[in-house]
Amino acid sequence: MANQPQTGTAPQPDAGAQKIQQLRELFADATDVGKRALENVIKELSSQVSEPPPAIESAGRVGARLGKRSELTIIVPLVPGGAKRLRTFLQLLGGNLSPGATKVGTLHDMRFVFIDNDTRLLFATSFDGDWDTYIDDFIALIPDYLDLMDSAWDGWPGIRDPGAKDYLIKHQITAEGWFVAEPDLTLAEIQRLKRIGKATDEFLDKVQ
Amino acid sequence: MTTQTQRSTVPESGQTAEEKVQYLRELYADAPELSKKALENVLGELKSQVADTPPPPIESAGRAGSRLGKVSELTLIVPLAPGGAKRLRAFLQLLGGNLNGADKVGTVHDMRFVFLDNDTKLLFATAYDGDWDAYIDDFATKIPDYLDILNAAFEGWPGIRSPEAKDYLAKYQVTAEGWFVANDLTVAETRRLERNGKALDEFLDKISE
Repeated sequence: MANQPQTGTAPQPDAGAQKIQQLRELFADATDVGKRALENVIKELSSQVSEPPPAIESAGRVGARLGKRSELTIIVPLVPGGAKRLRTFLQLLGGNLSPGATKVGTLHDMRFVFIDNDTRLLFATSFDGDWDTYIDDFIALIPDYLDLMDSAWDGWPGIRDPGAKDYLIKHQITAEGWFVAEPDLTLAEIQRLKRIGKATDEFLDKVQ
Repeated sequence: MTTQTQRSTVPESGQTAEEKVQYLRELYADAPELSKKALENVLGELKSQVADTPPPPIESAGRAGSRLGKVSELTLIVPLAPGGAKRLRAFLQLLGGNLNGADKVGTVHDMRFVFLDNDTKLLFATAYDGDWDAYIDDFATKIPDYLDILNAAFEGWPGIRSPEAKDYLAKYQVTAEGWFVANDLTVAETRRLERNGKALDEFLDKISE
């Protein structure tokens, strides 16, 4: 702890400590709740920053990925009458999108949320792998379901249109924070583990 | 193809599958050509799904949100305080955008933070196990400070230890009207299967030695 003056030869604080310091300065303007919370975890945070978790990567053209799992978040404007049609379609299925969605073997979860008085729709999914492959899967496996729902979207050109991907990209917003409990398990791997679990249970029952 | 006009009413629980599909068809009369064709393409499949093997409907996750089986969704869109986006982004960048601290909660499947509308709003969306109240309680007991660091960017956030915290969250939550989860297992069950699979691999390796 020498109080060395700022000479060129002074040891530089490591990058992690610098970042923590910057964050602290930013939080000087935060509410007391935020400031106190930061102080409570600052030690833990410092050690995490020196041994950081793997950073999120890109899912391809757009979106974030951790390990094998990616996120897609789209907010689109709805055409007049679009919300009503889409909602009626969703209600027909009891809101459960599994009839179409289970056909896409890389889709973990998916939600449709009406926002801003039914003028916009949030569509958010979690899926395996790369953006382009995922959209191609939708196109190949459930093009009609997609068009049925997306026709509520203002300007949607149709999934078979060469402009479809550009439309999606235009309205997609990449997450800046992302977490997946099992980033290294694809849906296919989870399903394989389920079969193994069942088989082992049966095996153990038999040998008893 | 009857010429009946404006006969159908909004779907009710008493309606037959046929009636529900017919109502949808009428609504789609105003839709673009593209989606009318799409509807005709799947109509047969749709009818049998609605009539013969309807999927279990989504249920409530409790105070807000939808649930299918064991897995629920939470979708929040909150206004950000001035400077909030900058602080929140700096915090996220410090972690390389990877929020793996959420693992401590034990019931979170996935979770995303997305800045909207020129950094004036934030979308927070997660998939988790079980009931809304239990989930928020888990956050409050297991990672209260991380939550407050993140949520300090939310305009008017009272702090997770405040008795008003849940009301605040419920106020900004928007329940999904369509929801799908492929894996019907909890995070804990999935992890157990993962261990099980590993143990089996080791066992098979050993007996083939």
